[in-house]
Amino acid sequence: MHRLYLVPTLLINVVIIFIPALLTVALAFFRWDGITTPVFIGLQNFQALWNDRVFWTALTNNLIWTGIFLTIPIFMGLLAATLLLIAKRGSMFFQVIYFLPMIIATAILARVWQGMIFSPVSGVNGMLQRMGFPTVDPLTQPSTALLGIATVDLWHWWGFLCVIFFAALRQVPQEQIEFARLEGVSFWKTMRYVLIPAIWPTITLMMIMTVIWSFLVFDFVYILTQGGPAFSSEVLSTLAYRSAFYDLAVGKAAAVAVVISLFGLVATAFYIRAQAKEFHQ
Amino acid sequence: MKRRTFIAGSLGLLASTALIGSALAQSKPITWWYESADPKQQGYIKSGIIEPFNAEHPDQKLTIDYRGSELDKQMRVALLSGNGPDIVYTAGPTYVAPMARAGQLLALDDYVTRFGWNDRILPVFIEMGKYDGKLYALPKTYETLGLFYNKTLFEKHGWKAPTTIAEIETLADAMLAEKIVPFASGNANWRPANEHYVTIVLNAIAGPENVYKALKGEIPWTAEPFVKAIDTLNSWWQKGYFGPNYFSLSDEQAFAQMATGQAGMMPTGTWQFQRVNTYFPPNNAEAGFVGFPSAEGINGPVYPLGVGSTFSVAATSKNADGAATAIDYIFSDKAYGVMNSVWPGEWNTPLSDLSKVKVDNGLPLYGETMKTLADAVGDNQYGYTTWTFLPPATDSYLVSGIEEVWLGRSTTAQFLEQLNATFLQEKADGKVPAIPAR
Repeated sequence: MHRLYLVPTLLINVVIIFIPALLTVALAFFRWDGITTPVFIGLQNFQALWNDRVFWTALTNNLIWTGIFLTIPIFMGLLAATLLLIAKRGSMFFQVIYFLPMIIATAILARVWQGMIFSPVSGVNGMLQRMGFPTVDPLTQPSTALLGIATVDLWHWWGFLCVIFFAALRQVPQEQIEFARLEGVSFWKTMRYVLIPAIWPTITLMMIMTVIWSFLVFDFVYILTQGGPAFSSEVLSTLAYRSAFYDLAVGKAAAVAVVISLFGLVATAFYIRAQAKEFHQ
Repeated sequence: MKRRTFIAGSLGLLASTALIGSALAQSKPITWWYESADPKQQGYIKSGIIEPFNAEHPDQKLTIDYRGSELDKQMRVALLSGNGPDIVYTAGPTYVAPMARAGQLLALDDYVTRFGWNDRILPVFIEMGKYDGKLYALPKTYETLGLFYNKTLFEKHGWKAPTTIAEIETLADAMLAEKIVPFASGNANWRPANEHYVTIVLNAIAGPENVYKALKGEIPWTAEPFVKAIDTLNSWWQKGYFGPNYFSLSDEQAFAQMATGQAGMMPTGTWQFQRVNTYFPPNNAEAGFVGFPSAEGINGPVYPLGVGSTFSVAATSKNADGAATAIDYIFSDKAYGVMNSVWPGEWNTPLSDLSKVKVDNGLPLYGETMKTLADAVGDNQYGYTTWTFLPPATDSYLVSGIEEVWLGRSTTAQFLEQLNATFLQEKADGKVPAIPAR
């Protein structure tokens, strides 16, 4: 009887998430322009992707992005959260400041960085250039375009991790930290042996979510460079978007979506296994 | 309440509702989805088209709905479910072919005879809207690419507007020596600006006859004239004609640079006319516009034709007559005069005879240019813009592919090779828009 309480949410989930997901997977095996009737073509979309150099560039970029976001923001977030834990006064104020970029709409953030910071005409970059520094707009060079976008997203994202880790750190039993302090343990050793093991489940969860979200990244890339210049900052989701809405090749876009989901599934599988192991301990 | 009062009251309410209902049903609704327009422009559409049309046709009620830049995606979904508007406003002929093939659009040939469109509209544009021999769409604006330049700056340096490719390169080199950017340009806000330059070289250097043959599949895109065209464009890039900040500037910033004299010329489209009065007078400069010069052996200047957007009628429309009448009104001389006086560049309907139209927008250069363009089209001296005549995936690859050539990540041969392969694939799928015979 109590299982009936699941029905409303399950219904919404099935209709809005499950069925469209199934349709997308099915569409990956068809050729469709979004207007006329779909035509079944088997694995041709996947074969086309395998032979498409833009697909491999996009996949590599997603992997680079994952690498960047699994290290830098997590490190920054942990450091800041630990400092907030130690310096209790002002922790509320700093939390708000760090979290602020997260609340602002991504479209606005992207335009602010593009026009007020990176622009060689109207931005800080331009000011530096006029003062004589040989700075460049990172979004215009193929070698730095993805890093430029990652910088904007890092600035936007790390505050969120900081707040999450701070909340987790506040759950650590005070006695353990007191004991470490009394024993004269250094700051770094406290972090390594007391704090990080204590919040390890939170850190693992954030790392798994980072992997999943790194393969979904879209807004900043699309608004800042649309995957350019010359495909250098292309990611899987911008490739899918362009295939579906500009090339009128919805089947190919669905195939890219399936690839994105596969990576997400692998990450989720790892997480559930880690969770189950911990549960049994 | 007494029973009798109740019955009388409800009957009265029903009767009055029925009367109001029938009064409303007198005027048949026509729904029109538009893209984006700022509040001032929405006012122009209301006073320039909707209100006069509704006044002239009291039995029709035209209403407009602003859907924003996602209009084409919403349109696709709406037409698939049969719930679209009566007037289907698409972003160009590329979208018309698949919609017509799927039976989502109404064939307009009866209306052509009824309203006499064959006499009033330039024939080449009627041809562009056809699919399988039947007319499905009429272009709302047509645009072309040419060369804007800062006349005041030119006079100061004793330069003359170029008439050949050699002259334009000499001018550009002279400008570089003076630390002036030769071609004001920027694609930061609209990456597809890249295809403006590809269109220019394909038409001015390879020639419209060759482009026509390639579009019909008679010659490949890897043929020698196209190699020469792309190599020339690449050489202009490598020499620095496009300035150091191409990827950082928006087109508006680039236009402003030309008006202030930091840049000398701007190869771009006639849609930039709407910016002339904003930027040139405050900088005490005068704007000039000429057709882009063409190479030896090509009868120029060639005006590449672009269609900004098209009008069609939905096949499931319940008021097809009303929709067609509204479209006919938009193509009237009166609407042309009114709309182009307040909003130049967006309502340039392809009327064959502009002599009787009165346009007063403080931009005599615009009026002259449009007349020259209409005459050139009438004389078959037109070319092909990539965004109007190429199928979608080919066009989309072109935008990124040329960046690869510019940045040295790909050669001209590789670029044209992939362009050709994509084009042939889409041609086989029937995605190439209608190409009118020359």
